[in-house]
Formats: sequence, structure tokens, C-alpha cells
Amino acid sequence: MFNHILFNLIQVLVVMAFAPLASGVTSRLKEMIQSKRGPSIFQPYRDLWKLFHKDEIVSEDSSWIFRFTPYIVFVTPIFVTLLIPVLTNYPLFFAFMGDMIGGGFILALGGFFATLAAIDTANPYGPVGASRTRMVGFLAEPVFMIVFFTVSFVAGSTIPYIVQEKWVTPPANFFLPSHVLLVLAFLMLILAEGGRIPVDNPGGHFELAMIDESKSLEYSGRGFALMKWGGQMKFFVLLCIFLNVLVTPWGLAGGQTLGAVLWAIPFVLFKIFCFLLALVVIESSLSKLRLFRIAEFLGAAFITSVAAMIAQVFLP
Amino acid sequence: MSDTTNQLLNNLNSLVTGLFLLTAFGIVAMRQARGVLFLFIVQSLLLAASAVLLGLRYTSHHLYGVAVVNLISKPIIVPWLLRKTSPSEVYTRREVDQVLNIPTALLIALALAILAYFLGLPLLNAVAPEFRGPNVPIGIAGLLLGAFTITVRREALPLLIGLLVMENGAFLAGIDIARNLKMLIELAIATDGLIIVFIMSVLTRAVQKQVGTTAVGELASLKETTVEPADKPANHRNDDERIFNNAR
Amino acid sequence: MSILIILLLPLIAAVLVCLPLKKAWAPGVTVVSSLATLILSARVAWLVSAGNSVTADLSANWIAVDGLSALILVLIAFVATTAAIYSVGYMAHGNLKLGKLRLYYINYNLFVFSMLAIPVLAEPTLVWIVVELTTLASALLVSFENTREALEAAWKYVVLSLMGAGMALFGFLVLFAAMQASGSTAAYTWSHLIDAAPLMPPVLLQTAFLLILIGLGTKVGLVPMHTWLPDAHSQAPSPVCALLSGIETTSILYVILRLFPVMQAAPNSHAETWAIVLGLISVGTAAFLLLQVKDYKRLFAFSTVEHMGIILTALGLGASVAGYGAMQQIVSHCVTKSFCFFAAGAVLLSVETRQISSIRGLIRQSPIASAALVFGGLAITGAPPLAVFLSEFSILKAGLTQKEYLATGLLAVFIVVAFFGIMLHVNRMVFGAKEIEADEHANSETASPLHRFTASPLPVSCKLALVVAAVPVLVFGFYIPQPLNELLTQAAAALTK
Repeated sequence: MFNHILFNLIQVLVVMAFAPLASGVTSRLKEMIQSKRGPSIFQPYRDLWKLFHKDEIVSEDSSWIFRFTPYIVFVTPIFVTLLIPVLTNYPLFFAFMGDMIGGGFILALGGFFATLAAIDTANPYGPVGASRTRMVGFLAEPVFMIVFFTVSFVAGSTIPYIVQEKWVTPPANFFLPSHVLLVLAFLMLILAEGGRIPVDNPGGHFELAMIDESKSLEYSGRGFALMKWGGQMKFFVLLCIFLNVLVTPWGLAGGQTLGAVLWAIPFVLFKIFCFLLALVVIESSLSKLRLFRIAEFLGAAFITSVAAMIAQVFLP
Repeated sequence: MSDTTNQLLNNLNSLVTGLFLLTAFGIVAMRQARGVLFLFIVQSLLLAASAVLLGLRYTSHHLYGVAVVNLISKPIIVPWLLRKTSPSEVYTRREVDQVLNIPTALLIALALAILAYFLGLPLLNAVAPEFRGPNVPIGIAGLLLGAFTITVRREALPLLIGLLVMENGAFLAGIDIARNLKMLIELAIATDGLIIVFIMSVLTRAVQKQVGTTAVGELASLKETTVEPADKPANHRNDDERIFNNAR
Repeated sequence: MSILIILLLPLIAAVLVCLPLKKAWAPGVTVVSSLATLILSARVAWLVSAGNSVTADLSANWIAVDGLSALILVLIAFVATTAAIYSVGYMAHGNLKLGKLRLYYINYNLFVFSMLAIPVLAEPTLVWIVVELTTLASALLVSFENTREALEAAWKYVVLSLMGAGMALFGFLVLFAAMQASGSTAAYTWSHLIDAAPLMPPVLLQTAFLLILIGLGTKVGLVPMHTWLPDAHSQAPSPVCALLSGIETTSILYVILRLFPVMQAAPNSHAETWAIVLGLISVGTAAFLLLQVKDYKRLFAFSTVEHMGIILTALGLGASVAGYGAMQQIVSHCVTKSFCFFAAGAVLLSVETRQISSIRGLIRQSPIASAALVFGGLAITGAPPLAVFLSEFSILKAGLTQKEYLATGLLAVFIVVAFFGIMLHVNRMVFGAKEIEADEHANSETASPLHRFTASPLPVSCKLALVVAAVPVLVFGFYIPQPLNELLTQAAAALTK
């Protein structure tokens, strides 16, 4: 019991600590694939440090929403971390507080406030980015739903810990069509939700083409640091859901001891690193879609998720 | 064979058929002609994979023959034949104006896939348990989606691929329920795709020479009411509209 | 053994045609080989009608000839021969390049080969493959003239036929699954199917039947799937039209007919109902569409749809009663329809337009073509005492004895409508006054081909083909030779179980 609370806290710490690292590794890998040296993989930590020590400027015309949003954006991934398996393959203390849909809602809450804050300051680019994010969000929503429905259809539950077990007991289940197709669909969702190519270009500096970035243009200092960190944690959490829950729970701690849990950290980080490698390859080989083609991209994700469901239904 | 192996083979076969369904969806919607061809090749590989898996599962060795014939004829000879016989224009075409817009087409395709399930269910209940794989409903879905591709596409290559998807669907179902039909399936697979590709690409070449386009779906001058040859190419939208559609 | 020779002859001819010899070589080889095929087929039919069994020496499993097969075989050979004779003059008329001409004859022989293979093969899957081959060979014949319209027609034909073939393929596979589910381990042939039918799961059998009916029905030209037929059958060169309309549709219909005894052997199948529904829809739609046709080759193409519908309806009325009539109708359709397209080709040669509205008073321009057209029109619509009249009459009679008054009544009405539809147009073309035409095109002199009517003489071979094709149309109207009668009876018997 006490152990489980402790492990939960360790999970939160891992997410907080390694989320910027994942972002740093991604950008470094990307530069390397383009035959450049790229920044150090610890650059995001330095950025955060620097931002925390800078003054914060808040527009006079903005409301409390603008001031509160960074904290909400920062806290929501942490809450989700409590619900999902980051390091262990057995349920922890808060595991049954919410299922995958609940986690989705909590993440959506952060997104919702970020959108409001973007509109709040009347910066011309904020609302553009906000409305685009909403568009992607609306289109991604049905895919999320179908993915969750299929998951619950297969596993009989949407609690992440129960779902992850289903894919490997017996091991042949790993090759269920519903599993593989769901993974495909969710991969496309991660690209869309995480603001990666081909949906959005995280490295872009052109405001008119931005989707995700432009929402935090008005922030500075500590607020910006929190927004940034929150965003990185959200991506990290999505990766954890994807890799640990949907793909496979291999590498997670099975033992109840502290050592076993700490030993799982390098495995999880390794899984994430492998995924980031794949992500970088995807990002480097595709180009960003035109805004209105995003609907087709997510349409493909939708079809994939429905195909997963159909294939599951077709199973004799 | 042990139960775990059997279950693994069953699941792998289900996975292969699931991916087969996905490629069929892709073929309905994909814009680039070359992409459609690529998806078709993937689909044929999946068909061969399913034959191998079923052959392993039920120790039915002639299914390996099916797989080999399929591997030779579809992923290798079909593209080669296409390259030899059809005008190179068919590859470079992007189809910007399908009959329906892509999301609508995909939704209808989904409905068809679900319909296929209900069509396949009574068939599955009528055969012996060992034939009740996911191949039949997904094969029917392939049949329907191929036919649907033909109705919504106008370009020559996607139309041709639509026909081949229909055949693939029929064979996917066939290697499961008519598994013991020795030799004949191999023969059918070997001849059929080639017949289709040969004849369609020869016609496409002729159409392109005579009419100047590979958008064969836009040929529509033969009707009951008019027999006068149309003065201008029927149904050619002007370029502005194309660009507009493209942007949309 | 003779069966194998029959199958080999067109193939050999197709190879020989390729030899770089003079212009007369290719047509000559084709005519000779088709004549030989006809003689051999007639011999096979003779043997079968006398009660001998004819099987290939190699393997009795995949070749089997019964009365029905022999009937179709001899019809194919007959039409192929007359069309080959007709082609000699018709194709020479266009001053084609030698290479193009050779291409025509290669495809012609391949087409004939693929059709000859349909009735003699015993395995449904093999039959399906040769059905695909007919599409392959005939599509290139349909698009032979290489105009925009011909290509469009060929394209539609190919796409729809192949779509249908895809469905039919699945149908044949389901049929095999049904046979397997019945516990039968015999080879997959037509006759074994009948044996296995009583134990087949009805769902599988019905599904297979419907898939094949719709899939191959597309190629037969049954109505919801008929849209390609008038196009293809009007755009192809006339001798090819005779083959397509006269015999290809029938030989594909033969494959569907093969399923009827299977369905009858199975408990509570609804094959008859489906046949009547599809058949009547085809007859009715075709009859009314005939009224508004503007192209005289399309006229005969629609008439083919109508006749296919009649045959199917006859089967639906009860194969045991109307089977003989249906077989008779197949025979009369084949001989008459090929004659009609020869006549249409003769008209086309003399006036060089396909539009009905452009042709008036043909009798003064080209008496032979006119006479052929009137004769063909009367024959195909079932005017007494010609072949179609007799067969349609016996079908209607069978319908009445079966007490299927509604279906028979509708059939009779549609036949009468079709008669008026065709004769109306033919009458206008042949006897119509020129003034109507002149009024319509008063302001566009060049548009009317009327002024360049050059009564080009019909080639001798065309005349010969017309005469040869006319003989059975006339004779079968009032006299059916004993061997043929025997063959028809056997064929009808093959439709029941």
C-alpha cells in the first residue's frame, strides 16, 4: 500500500524528469539525420532553467485564465501519470481512479485551457493556432473513441493495467489484428496530438503555419517554462500510454520491490528511445500536410481504428 | 501441432486479413496512382501470406503453391506488364476529382465492410468449423470494396486495381473455404490477374492515344438518347475547377 | 479425341494467321478452320444425339459432352463459320493494313476457341477461366475500330464483365465449399455437383447460385447489369457483333443453365423464381427501350437482351415443361441474331451510318441489304413461320400449361411490344419517305449522309454468309430435323434432374 504510493510518486518524478530529455533527444536525432550536429540533448533542461529565472510579462488586458493556464497545463499530465503504467505492470495506488477515457479527459482539460488562454490575450496568432488545434482535436476525437471502444471490446475494460495484460496473455494475442491496427491508428493519433509532422511542424518558426506552438506565443518567463514543460510531459505521457499500454507491457517492473521498479526505468527509456528513432524517421521522410488535408490523415486513422474493430468482430 | 502454435497461426492469419482490409480501404481513397499500385502489391503479398499461414495451420501443402503462384503473378508480373503495356501517364496521374469526396467514400466503404460481415456470417455458419476463419467476411469485403473502387474512380489505373482487388477478395475467401480445390485455384490466380492487366492496359493505351486522357471514367458518349458523337470531350472539367477541388 | 481437335483447330488457326503471307491468307485459314470445326462439332452432336457418349481420351474428368454441351458447341461452330465467311468481304471493305487484319483474325480465332471451350469443359473453375478468356479476346475485337466510341464501349464491356467475373469466381468457390460441406469428395464437375446437391447446405448453394447468376448475368446482359451490352454490340465490327450477340451471350448463359439441375436437386431452392424475375425484367426493359433506340445496331443489341430474358423466363417457368422451348429458343436466337447483324453490317456497308434517323428509303438504295434487314427484323421478333416464332410459341404454350398466367401474359405482351419496336424502326429505314429526313436536317446539309449514298455493291462473301445464315432461320420455322430434335430433347433433359 505504502509501496504503491511511493511507486506512483516515482512514476511522476520519472515523467517530470525525463520528458525534457525525450524532447532533447528527438531534436538532436532529427538534426543528426539531416547531417548536422544539433544541440545537446540536455538543451531543454537549460531552456527551462533559463526561463524560470526570467521575468514574466503578462498583458494587462488578459484575465485570470491566462495566468492560471500554465499551472493547469503543467499539472494535468501529472494527474494522468498517476493513472497509467509508466514503470510497473501491476496496478498502483491511484490506478482505479480513472480509466483511459478519464485520462483523455484530463489531458483534454489542459488543452482546453491552453486554447482559452490563446484567445484571451488577443494576440492575432493565438486564436488561429487555437482554432486549428481544435480542428485537429475534433477530428482526432472519434478516432480516440473508436480506439478505446475497441480496446474495451477486446479486453473487457478500459483500465490501462488490464488492457496491457490482455495483449500478451497468451503471447499469440500480440498478433491479433485488432491489436496491430489499433497500434497503427494510435500512432497516427500521437502524430496529430503531439503536433508532429505530417500534421504540424514542431520546429517551424512561421506563425501563420503554426498549429500548436502559436498558443503559447504570449507567454514568457515562468509561465512559458511551465507551458513548455507541460507540453513535453503530455507527449511523454502519450508515449507511455502508447508503448506500455497499447504496444506491449514488456520491460515493465513485475516485482513489488523498489529495486525492480527503479530497474524498469532504463527499459522504459530504451523503449521510448526506440520509438523516438522511428518517429524521427517518419518525420524526416514525410512533409507537412496542407491544413485541410489533415482531415484525410485523421480519416485514415479513423479507418484504421474501425478496421481494427471490424477485424475483431470478424474473428470467429 | 500444439494448441499455442495453432492459436498463433490463427492470430497471424487474422492479422494478415485485417491488414488486407486496410489496404482495400486505402485503395478506395488513395489519390496517387502509384500509391494505389503499391497498396495493391502489399495486398497481394498479404494474400500470399494468408495462404502460407493457412497452409501451415491445416497442413495443406498445395496452398504453398497458391502463395508462390500469387507471389510471382501479382507483385512481380502485374507491375511489369503494366509498365510494358500501359502509357506511363497512368502512373503520374493524381486523381483529384473522384466521384465522391474521400471522407464520404471512406464512410460508404466502412458501411460496405460491415455489410460484408453480415453477408459472410450465414455462409460461415453453414461450413465446417475448420473453415470459419476471418478470410470469408474479409474476402467479401474485398469484393465489395473493389467494386466500390470501380464505381468511384475515373482514372484507368485505380479502376484496374479495383478489379484486381475484387479478384484478391474472392481468392482470399477461396483459400479458406475452398481450400481443397487443388490446382484450379492456382491456375485461376495465375491467369486471371494477367488477363485483367493485359487487356485493361492495352485498352488504356488505346484510349490515351485516341482521346488523350487516361481518365477513362469520363468517357460517356454512348447513351440511348444521343448517338451523335459528342462535339467536345464529354465531362471534361476545366482546370480551374480541378485546382479548386484539389485545394478543397 | 475429336473434342480436343475442335479446341485445337482455332488455336492452330490463330498461329497460322500470323504467317506473313498475302492478304487472302488470314481470312482463308480462318474460314477453313471454322468449317472444319463446324463439321467436327456436327459429328460430335450427331454422335451425342444418337446416344453415344463422347469424352476426351485424355481425361474424362475435365472434358464432358452431353446433349446441352453438344448443342451449344455446334451453334458456336455454326455462327463462327458464317461470321468468318462474312468477315472475308466485310473486313476487306475497310482497306485495313495487313497487320491490323492479322490482329483481327488472331483475336477472332482466340475468341472462337475460348467460346468453344465453355461447353465442353466440365470443371466450373476451368469454365470460369475460359469465360475470362472470352472477355480478353472479344474486348480487343470490340475496340477494333479504335474510335472514341468503340474504345468507350470496350472499356465498359471489360470493366463490367470483369466485375461480374469477380463475383462469379467467388460464387464458384462457394459452390465448391457447398459441395465439400455436403460430404462429397468427388471431383468438382457439373455432374458431381448434381449428385452432391441434395446434401448441400441451402445457404451456400443459394449464395453461390445468386453470385453466379448476377456475375455471369452481367456478361449475358440481364437487365440491371446490361448497360454495356448495347454499346459493345453496336460498336464492334458487324461479324464480331454477330458472334457477341448471337453466340457469346448464349454460351455464357449456358454456364448459368448448368446450375439449374443442381438447384432442382437441392430441396426448396428458388432458382425458378429468380430466373422468372430477372428474365421478365430483362424482357420488359429491353422491349420498351427498343422503342427509343436511335442506332439500328443497338436495336438488335437490345433484342439480344430481350431474348436472353426470354430464355431465362422459360427456364423459370419450369425446366421440365419449357426446357425444350428454351433450347429451341437458344437455337433460333443464335441463327437469327447472327443473321440480323449480318444484315445490319450490309446496311452499314451501303450507307455508312448507324443512325436510324439518317436512313430513309433504303429499299431504293440497296435492295439486298433492305431485304435482309426486313427479313432479319421479322425473324428476330418472332413473325411466323420463322424459327423464333416456333420457339417463342412453344415457351408460351409451356407457360400456359404450367398455369403461370401472369408471367406468361407479361412475356407475351413484352414480345409484342418488342415486335412493334423493331419493326417500326426497320420499316422507317427501309420504306420511309426521304422528305422527313430532309426536313430534319434542312439547315445542316453536310450532317446528312443521305446525299452521299453510294450503293456500293455488297461483297460476295457477305451475300454468301447471309444466304447460309438465312437457311436455318427459314427451315427451323417449320421443320426440325430428327437429330436436332433428339439433341434438343437431350439438352432439355440435361436441365432437369
